[in-house]
Amino acid sequence: MRKVITLGVLTLLCTVLVAGAQAGKQASVVKLKFATYVWQPTTVAANKAIVESWNKSHPGIQVEIVPVDVNSVHDKLLTSFVGGTAADVIHDEAADIAGFTQQGYLANLTPLIPKTLKRTIPNSLWQTTNFGGKITGVPALLQTYNIFANMDILKSAGIKAPTLADPWTWPEFRANAKRLTTSGRFGVCWGLRSPTAVTQTMSLNYGGQFFYLENGKWTFKFGPNDQNVVRQMHDMIHVDKSVDPAATGLSGSAVLPAFFGGKCAMTVAGNFAAQSMILQSPKGFNWAMFPLLKGRTQEQVANPQTYSISQQSTNKQAAMFFISYLVNRQNLAKLALGDWLIPANPEAGKLARKSTKRTGSWKIATESVVHFRKGNWVSLAAYPRWKAEVAQPNFVQYLRGSISLEDLGKNLEDGWKRINGR
Amino acid sequence: MSAAPEAGPPIFARTRRNRSGSGLSGRETMLLLIPALLPIVILSVLPLVRGIYLGFTDARAGLNVPTTFIGLDNFRALLDDELFVNSFKIGVIWSVAVTAIGFCFALGLALLLTQNLRGRWLARSLALVPWAMPAVVVGIMWKLVFQPQAGVLNEALRRGHIPGENTDWLSSFSWALPAVILVGVWAGMPQTTVALLAGLQSIQDELHEAAAVDGATAWQRFRTITLPQLRPVIIAITTLDFIWNFNSFGLVYVLTEGGPAGKTQLPMLFAYSQAFEYGEFGYASALGSAMVVVIAVALVFYLWGRLKEAK
Amino acid sequence: MIVTTRPRRTKTVQYAVLLGYLVFLGFPLLWMLSMSFKGPRELVQLYPSFIPEDFTFENYRTALTEDDHQLVRNGINSLKVAAVTALLTTMIGLPAAYVLARRKGLITRLGLGWILLSQMFPLILIIIPLFLLLRDLKLTNSHIGLVVVYVVWALPFILWMLMSYIRGIPHDLEEAATVDGASRFQILVGIIAPLLVPGIVVTTLFAFISAWNEFFFALVILENPDLTTLPLRLAQYVGIEGVVRFGPLAAAALLATAPSLILFTIIQRWLARGLLSGAVKG
Repeated sequence: MRKVITLGVLTLLCTVLVAGAQAGKQASVVKLKFATYVWQPTTVAANKAIVESWNKSHPGIQVEIVPVDVNSVHDKLLTSFVGGTAADVIHDEAADIAGFTQQGYLANLTPLIPKTLKRTIPNSLWQTTNFGGKITGVPALLQTYNIFANMDILKSAGIKAPTLADPWTWPEFRANAKRLTTSGRFGVCWGLRSPTAVTQTMSLNYGGQFFYLENGKWTFKFGPNDQNVVRQMHDMIHVDKSVDPAATGLSGSAVLPAFFGGKCAMTVAGNFAAQSMILQSPKGFNWAMFPLLKGRTQEQVANPQTYSISQQSTNKQAAMFFISYLVNRQNLAKLALGDWLIPANPEAGKLARKSTKRTGSWKIATESVVHFRKGNWVSLAAYPRWKAEVAQPNFVQYLRGSISLEDLGKNLEDGWKRINGR
Repeated sequence: MSAAPEAGPPIFARTRRNRSGSGLSGRETMLLLIPALLPIVILSVLPLVRGIYLGFTDARAGLNVPTTFIGLDNFRALLDDELFVNSFKIGVIWSVAVTAIGFCFALGLALLLTQNLRGRWLARSLALVPWAMPAVVVGIMWKLVFQPQAGVLNEALRRGHIPGENTDWLSSFSWALPAVILVGVWAGMPQTTVALLAGLQSIQDELHEAAAVDGATAWQRFRTITLPQLRPVIIAITTLDFIWNFNSFGLVYVLTEGGPAGKTQLPMLFAYSQAFEYGEFGYASALGSAMVVVIAVALVFYLWGRLKEAK
Repeated sequence: MIVTTRPRRTKTVQYAVLLGYLVFLGFPLLWMLSMSFKGPRELVQLYPSFIPEDFTFENYRTALTEDDHQLVRNGINSLKVAAVTALLTTMIGLPAAYVLARRKGLITRLGLGWILLSQMFPLILIIIPLFLLLRDLKLTNSHIGLVVVYVVWALPFILWMLMSYIRGIPHDLEEAATVDGASRFQILVGIIAPLLVPGIVVTTLFAFISAWNEFFFALVILENPDLTTLPLRLAQYVGIEGVVRFGPLAAAALLATAPSLILFTIIQRWLARGLLSGAVKG
């Protein structure tokens, strides 16, 4: 009998010890969830490779990728925050995290960011994720809006392409677009289905910020600097008639077939459209990406993709380690190459250029980093709502000629007062 | 117990039958109902009540944000909100149009299906197809039809030399709502056609034949015999259709997401964006309650129709 | 059926109109079918033709294999969720439908009233509290949570359908069995159920189709792409900035619809009959 009891106790003891050891081992492995909306097959592969190499070299911190649908990032993130199922590391963009920051869902990264990481990214870009002294995102990848041109058409019309040293100005762009408009062909096919981003980004060419701090409140203003770019766009469509009006209802990538088919000489798109150019254009299609258009300056608003940490995460320090790894020079270059975007880290930009034979557009893209400036609207929490409910419909209507410039300004202002006031 | 087989059910069995008429005891009833009753109360009735209550609070997304009762503030804000007014306007236009046009189409088809035509079986099967398809697929399918460059509608217009071949239907300010209504009609054909067809088939033939012998034309017969007999079905199915259409979400979400510039923003789409893009849970719930008001009006109409017909 | 002789002209007009209906009803589906067989270059060309010039199965291959066969995995998700929903709903609904069909009284009237009303409430009123409830139960972003919501959502219509079928079974059988001393359970299992088999099959399949097609709840409750059901995935196909890859999209849409189309064709005859016995009289 005693033997049985001893055996029983020993077995029990062993089980407890083993279980404890197991639990102990499990407790010491930190598990992080990394929500990301990367969707380009090249970027998805690069992302996966980076996470795998991290997991191999950091057995104590294991990262799991949680894919997020790229078309409903905001909704999905919001439901995950509200539902308490948010990931630890969150991939989003600067203009979008303003709202989440205000709602308290994002952790304050300022005390967590290692100095080495801080140094690699220019201060102007850190400004975009700084909300009243709280940094809630690490800037990673950015884009610019560039002109893409069908070089065969330009050559036959005798128009010279701009260079980095000698870019086109808005008047030159308009004049050339007019020259290139013949019967059966437009100068520009511009996909303006969602015109707010391109309009507000490029308005910085004339210093148009739209939102200005007055008496401690962010007010919307529609002065000459703010109106300039959208007015020129409108005039190109309705006065110069050099932009195909039918195409303005389409998205940037939906106008590509017309561009490839020679129905227009130029198009304006995000710099990453270079990838579509390469993959989708017919054989022998001679295209080029132009340097940034110049108003008074070539500045464009920086709205980088960001990596943030959820306030509900229980492993913030570990998450920060991972983010630092994710945006180091080599890895950021890999991600940039996958998405055809511009790295926030200029060193990574140089690396990206070196690793590809595709100079040309890459050179122009990475050279644009100096022209990035903070747009005030990127940091405003109510901005995404104003953009979707007020800006988009009104910009669309103005560009289609349904409302006047004055009405546009009034509607935008009234809309901001209503939304920001709630 | 009676020994005479012709005497029918024994007397004691007759008296054992309780007032409910089926022999179900109260305890049995509850036992049979509980598996369904419990989930319904917990997951349908209670949430519905809570949903209505939320409309009177400032519930919103945010970490550790408290929810306070604010009475009618949401409703006041709704009336001020031009986007809300717009979505309701679009919702009513959409529901009325889809229901009315769909009714005409379905009635026509149902009438045809009662005629002795060859190929009826094909039309009947095709009429039911939209029912089987997910709303998302219906939306995608019609998106492919309406696509400006690669879609069949514009190609057909071009080949038929009818103007409008370059129209981007779903992005056009003037054509987006009509286009979406057309899809709504298509998707709503099954239930209306089936209901009307069943109604038509239950109308006695003798009445029609007698009237035909009396020399009444088809149209007169339709008006004086078919329509009155069909009235209860018509009232029922159009009321239901109106309500379902007013609550519609998936179809238009996939087609246009409420665009362009809110021209096809149905109430449910607006409510969804308020709740799950901006986290305005209280506001969206108030919106839902407002929708219920419209539905209640439709129901009143239905009941009034039934009462009239009962006289 | 009215059998009167009609003038030739009316018949022609009727056939013409019927043809019009056939085109209206069938053409969009045929168009999508045609697009699913077109190659990528043909899909972006400016003047499309109806019959594919460049017939290919590539789109189906892409749709099925891309993202590590994600479409197939999503299909399995849909299958899981729809099957469990259908079975649970019928199992829960059958006893309740029996009570509602047989017993007249307050509960029945309340039940019928709720069945009708619940079809009419805008889903937004219920999804927010349900979502918050699921969150507290840690059931968001899970198939279990989705099935739970689906069962409750499908119950009303299922109850209604089952009630129509049960009403079609004469009382006398039950009464005779009661006389013979059978228990309620024996009656249900031995008499009602066998007679109800076609009705149960139709109802279960209908519940399956409804769950298979559902979109809104899935959109709100599911976040993880691994858990996504087919309608949700299809909605996400409309890629970034509206880059729609029409070929794979058409192929995927057809693949996603095929099961419910097939099942629906099977049950449609009984469906119309069963459903409307309630609608016309009631």
